[in-house]
Amino acid sequence: MSFSQCPVHETLLELKKIPADRRIVHPRGRRLIEEIATLVGDIVGARAGAEHLPCIDTRVAELCDFEDDPVSVEVGIWLKARLTEHDEVFRSHAANRNCAASVCDHLTPAPCQMACPAGIDVPTYVSLIALGHDDEAIEVIRRDNPLPWVCGLVCTRPCEMMCVRARIDTPVSIKFLKAFAAERAMSVGRYHNPRKTPTTGRKVCVVGAGPGGLSAAYYLALHGHAVRVIEALPRAGGMILVGIPRYRLPSDIIDREVAKIEELGVEFRFNTRFGKDVDLESLRAEGFEAFFFAVGAHASFNLGIDGENDFPQVHGAVDFLRRVALGERHCPGKNVVVIGGGNVAIDAARTCLRLGCEKVTIAYRRTRKEMPADHEEVEQAEEEGVHFEMLTVPMAVTGEGGHVGALRCLKAKLVTVPGSNRQSPKPIEGSDYDLVADAIVSAIGQRIERHWFDRMPDLAWTHRDTIRVNTVTMETSLPGVFAAGDSVTGPATVIEAIGGGKRAAIAIDRFLAGIPQPKLPPVPVRHQRPAYLDVPAHTKMTLKRPEMPLLSVDRRRTTFQQVELGYTENQTREEARRCLRCDICRRCGKCVTICKEKMGVDALALGYLSFDHPHESDFRYTERRCISCGACAANCPTGAMRIEDRGPERILSLCGTILSRQPLVFCATCDAVIGTERYLAFIRGRLGALVTPPPNADGPLCDVCARKKGFQGGATIMATS
Amino acid sequence: MAFHKGQMVRVLRRSTDESWEDYMDGLVGSRGIVTDPDSQINDPDALIEVSLEDKGTYRLPQDCLELLEPTS
Repeated sequence: MSFSQCPVHETLLELKKIPADRRIVHPRGRRLIEEIATLVGDIVGARAGAEHLPCIDTRVAELCDFEDDPVSVEVGIWLKARLTEHDEVFRSHAANRNCAASVCDHLTPAPCQMACPAGIDVPTYVSLIALGHDDEAIEVIRRDNPLPWVCGLVCTRPCEMMCVRARIDTPVSIKFLKAFAAERAMSVGRYHNPRKTPTTGRKVCVVGAGPGGLSAAYYLALHGHAVRVIEALPRAGGMILVGIPRYRLPSDIIDREVAKIEELGVEFRFNTRFGKDVDLESLRAEGFEAFFFAVGAHASFNLGIDGENDFPQVHGAVDFLRRVALGERHCPGKNVVVIGGGNVAIDAARTCLRLGCEKVTIAYRRTRKEMPADHEEVEQAEEEGVHFEMLTVPMAVTGEGGHVGALRCLKAKLVTVPGSNRQSPKPIEGSDYDLVADAIVSAIGQRIERHWFDRMPDLAWTHRDTIRVNTVTMETSLPGVFAAGDSVTGPATVIEAIGGGKRAAIAIDRFLAGIPQPKLPPVPVRHQRPAYLDVPAHTKMTLKRPEMPLLSVDRRRTTFQQVELGYTENQTREEARRCLRCDICRRCGKCVTICKEKMGVDALALGYLSFDHPHESDFRYTERRCISCGACAANCPTGAMRIEDRGPERILSLCGTILSRQPLVFCATCDAVIGTERYLAFIRGRLGALVTPPPNADGPLCDVCARKKGFQGGATIMATS
Repeated sequence: MAFHKGQMVRVLRRSTDESWEDYMDGLVGSRGIVTDPDSQINDPDALIEVSLEDKGTYRLPQDCLELLEPTS
């Protein structure tokens, strides 16, 4: 299957053409094909139940055996082959409501869900949070991500980068909504594990208790396998425990979510180093049939400058952060220089401040604009008092008597290197100077500790010194051995590791069952389609993403307390209502085209529908111009745009956002709904010259009542005022 | 070329990098946003995370990507 075609949708189109094209004249053959087309149509339209596919199979078998009509048999055989060839895709459509090719309108995941490396059903859980159903939201999240609370605090949120709401103002604060729901669900005791499948008796070993390992362990345990996690550190969490400082992610949160995974029967063996305490052979001898490696990238790169290895006060950032995370609280020095411009450098610098360092300076060889660290993190570091020395190239660590005295640096300027559009720092000759320091932390990147795999010579590695895998299944070059996380991608994100762990768990389950592995990466699964929440257009436009309240700067400089304090309940519910429900509106723009070009009304200011060139969007604009004709709703392929009469009003809404609300005009004789004033005026404008309006003495009349009284038509052509 | 978070990019061509897999040929021509560049040292050789419209999020080699907007 290619990315641009959907076999299910294509089958439906073919089925619709077959009776005419192949001249099927036998009534029974035609009926069977029509029934199959109806059933496939249900699958494409997200209306299928569990019985649809077996029903189709029965009818196809009947068609194949229908010897009275050879053409029908031919079609039956064709259908059978198609269903067999694309069995997985049909099942994915019917059971999971997924269309990998984004062809079937009702089954295409929203951009935020597509963007999430773990494929979390974002619109569903955001809607549930808006309704106050936090526990249900967590249940939805944990189908794809076993660590919602952790991710609610530290995720890099690719979902928000793709959020369509950002084309109007700012993205929905998806990450913090998740944190709120997880905290609330945990707090009220409604953070539950899903039901496990019966025990299979198969044993899987997970190496590494970081996000990737925890994710794989969770899904493997849910599949009924016996899982043992071995971890070199004394606690679970991996990089989220020892790489992310406590002021961003309190360890209690990791502990609570790990405890939930442990509840599923996952066995943890801490202080156990793969390659030292256990190896593949010893684990195989214990009965483990499959292995998953998520060992992270825990080693720091060396600076490669003079004096780096001569002083105990020179630390690798990853080692330094690990020691602090595991309880060491020694201040590394009064005057610390951190080398690097990435997130780890920022974390190390902010940690130094909290340990009591008087002055912390980040030395970076390019300018602030080129710093790879997140801008928010840099700003927070600056607020806390971290100094920045830009265009600074470290040359040597100097000192006396085993104590660091300074970092010798050169000033640099940025120059454009021929053949590259990236500016590189070029040291300025004679600009060397000493940056006074009594401790230095180097944060110039991380790598995998490859030597622990020395006894696995057949394990393939990439030129980046990462484990080579097939990224669809996370299989390594060794049968039954899978890997994910930073040891595969290099230093990456928590959510990617979680997604990789989940993918590996699915592949391990198939490996154990002897089922062939898929050839394409999985497409996110839409679990539900919650009903729309009615939000007036004005509210939708004026609700703003709340600012995250932060701990006071004094407290931030002195303690490891969580910096981001979280939203209040009101802020959370309101923020969730900003969601545009892109799981339903596919932004095809048909509504805008119909309204503007066919009806000539131009009442929809939905500039955000364009990915490339979003222009002005204002839901409130529709109220001023809409005639309530319903043409947009009639042509909407997904049911996102709706027009309905509620009591005395006709309401036009887009995924619950009420765009227009107009009073209805009723027939003075029979009380039938005629339309709205604007709609009637629009029709009069079109037909007025063709027919003579009847007198309007008794009030508006519907067409039927008007004709009964001898007129050509009703209120659609008569004055109603 | 070093990419930054939030930049709009297009998958211009298939990459010769060893991390490129056959199924990724279907991504050529897609547009998206850089969601996680190399946040350590901006290494031009590092794989970076890109969210592609309607295709999902992938970690891709940088040589297959084209910037769709000037660096701000």
